[in-house]
Amino acid sequence: MTGFDRHLQTFGALILAALWVLPLAYAIWTAIHPAAYEAHFVLNAPLTTDNFVKAWNAAPFARYFLNTFVLVTAILAAQFILCTLAAYAFARYRFPGRGFLFFLVLLQLLVMPDILIVENYRMIHSLGLVDTITAIGLPYAASGFGIFLIRQTFLTIPTELDDAARIEGAGPLTILWRVYVPLARPTYLAYGLVSVSHHWNNFLWPLIVTNSVETRPVTVGLSIFSTIDAGVEWSVINAATLMTSGPLLIGFLLFQRQFVQSFMRAGIK
Amino acid sequence: MLAFSLKSVAASAAIALASALPAGAVDLQFYFPVAVGGGAANTIQSLTDEYLAAHPDVKIDAIYSGSYQDTITKVITAARGGNAPQLSVALSVDMFTLIEEDMIVPFDDYLTSDEDKAWLAGFYPAFMENSQTGGKTWGIPFQRSTPVLYWNKQAFAEAGLDPETPPATWEEMVEMGQKLTKKDANGNVTQWGVRIPTSGFPYWLFQGLTTQNDVIVANNEGNKTNFDDPKVVEALQYLVDLSGKYGVMEPGIVEWGATPKAFFEGQTAMMWTTTGNLTNVRTNAPFDFGVAMLPAGKRRGAPTGGGNFYLFKGTSDAQMRAAVDFIQWITAPTQSAKWTMATGYVAPRPETWETDTMKAYAAEFPPVLVARDQLEFAVAELSTYENQRVTQIFNDALAAAITGQKDAATALKDAQAQAEAILKTYR
Repeated sequence: MTGFDRHLQTFGALILAALWVLPLAYAIWTAIHPAAYEAHFVLNAPLTTDNFVKAWNAAPFARYFLNTFVLVTAILAAQFILCTLAAYAFARYRFPGRGFLFFLVLLQLLVMPDILIVENYRMIHSLGLVDTITAIGLPYAASGFGIFLIRQTFLTIPTELDDAARIEGAGPLTILWRVYVPLARPTYLAYGLVSVSHHWNNFLWPLIVTNSVETRPVTVGLSIFSTIDAGVEWSVINAATLMTSGPLLIGFLLFQRQFVQSFMRAGIK
Repeated sequence: MLAFSLKSVAASAAIALASALPAGAVDLQFYFPVAVGGGAANTIQSLTDEYLAAHPDVKIDAIYSGSYQDTITKVITAARGGNAPQLSVALSVDMFTLIEEDMIVPFDDYLTSDEDKAWLAGFYPAFMENSQTGGKTWGIPFQRSTPVLYWNKQAFAEAGLDPETPPATWEEMVEMGQKLTKKDANGNVTQWGVRIPTSGFPYWLFQGLTTQNDVIVANNEGNKTNFDDPKVVEALQYLVDLSGKYGVMEPGIVEWGATPKAFFEGQTAMMWTTTGNLTNVRTNAPFDFGVAMLPAGKRRGAPTGGGNFYLFKGTSDAQMRAAVDFIQWITAPTQSAKWTMATGYVAPRPETWETDTMKAYAAEFPPVLVARDQLEFAVAELSTYENQRVTQIFNDALAAAITGQKDAATALKDAQAQAEAILKTYR
């Protein structure tokens, strides 16, 4: 009975895995074969790299990759610093208005970022930052989700460690840096993954707030292939998609074990 | 004291900035969407560069703004944020939305000389229908298209039909479609007769049918629809019957994006789609194909589609004049011919078709002329106030009838009632 159960589970898992991998497999298939084989799955179909070349030349992707890389790194750095400090304050300090302020932070989780686009734009414009990478990242620097997540992790850390550090003569920032941050590492890793993949894939806000090749991320380059008036060239689109999501996929495969573990430890499902 | 010195610093900085620019220099931002492949964005960029080289006193920043949908979002956001571009290409059907948002200015104020007026009269009237309302011109046609019928000559020959004669009427399309529909031994269809895509924005191609049935779905003021007219019902019934009663089209919602592919792979012998696909079909169809006007019902007919130039509020007179000058330049025959050959869009001015380049192109590839000739029978694409909502209501009604949830008459009657509720405040 248990043996049967286990086989059933394995079988179920395999089916789910196959379903999950199917779109990716199709993307790879169409990307490395000529357009004529988009729906003809024959083993001896000729291989080609033309689709990638075509996709790469359709937009200044080298610059876009650099922009995206700068963008996600800057956002992540800003989020880590701001969220850590805010989370530490919410977790370990008592001050007037703490409950209300934390409520405001949580409220941010409930608001769809898209409905704030006009307000954000107005703000960015009044700061004179339109068409800069800073403008893309700024609205996301203070992340309610990050503050909440890191605060919850900090709360699980025993205050005895605090006290011990204080006896050793450590100040508040030293305690944060030497005690809290190291113990919350899995949370940082998990949150970092979510943040990087979200901002890597973000499209609408960057498109609206930027105007030039020097500031635009890869997703804007990718959008040049959504040409509904002229029919869809799946092979080139898929080549471009693989190319732009490639760094994320490779990163995930390399650090897969750490990611999965950190998710389990951080309790994000 | 501090405030004073700050002010004087700012003032001197402003003077320094102003003096750094050449006298009379004009800065323009120009948003453009791209809806066809083949490097359309590069073509616009190189045309703009060409203009700049000839006009050193103007600076135009041509900004690619995604799809049409993205563009309208970007334009409206920027305008509300106090940073509207001076000119933008956006869907011709967005005219009423932009007027209602009070974001655009009519071209009439800047086209005052007789020469300018003659220029304005030089566009195909079918394209101007979506560009003018209330006696004013709000848009200048640029990347405009219209749907046509593509047919597979090889499939026609195999079915015993004359490969050079496409269907000219609704009846012929059904008759030919029935001969062209092929089934395998199990009774599964391997090749359909015709394919009229109905996903996403079915109203557009459906407007072909309504026009052919001699009825207009919305008035020119954009505040009254005509969805429940018996002739509209009749047109919808014909569309439903194509896959029901006549069995010449795949039942259910037919995907827009997959249609050219289905045509190339012989899953359908005819398709209705935009002229914007012409270059794509020419490159990828593995057989001889023909392009024809949509078949006639009571008359010939088709909607127009695509994007217009708009002028945005909040900028100086000098900028507006420079923007209008740029638009006049880019729609002039030489530039327009380049644009048409690069994309497949229909050149919006008859004079463009008289240039030697276009004549040579048409001689080599006659199908490009079909869309132009069809303009004589074309009408404005459905466009009303609250366009997104009204169009969505219409699309939903069409989808309900196509999938058989409602009969054609009920679906359209419900849609008309909903559209009325929205539009009656605009009369």
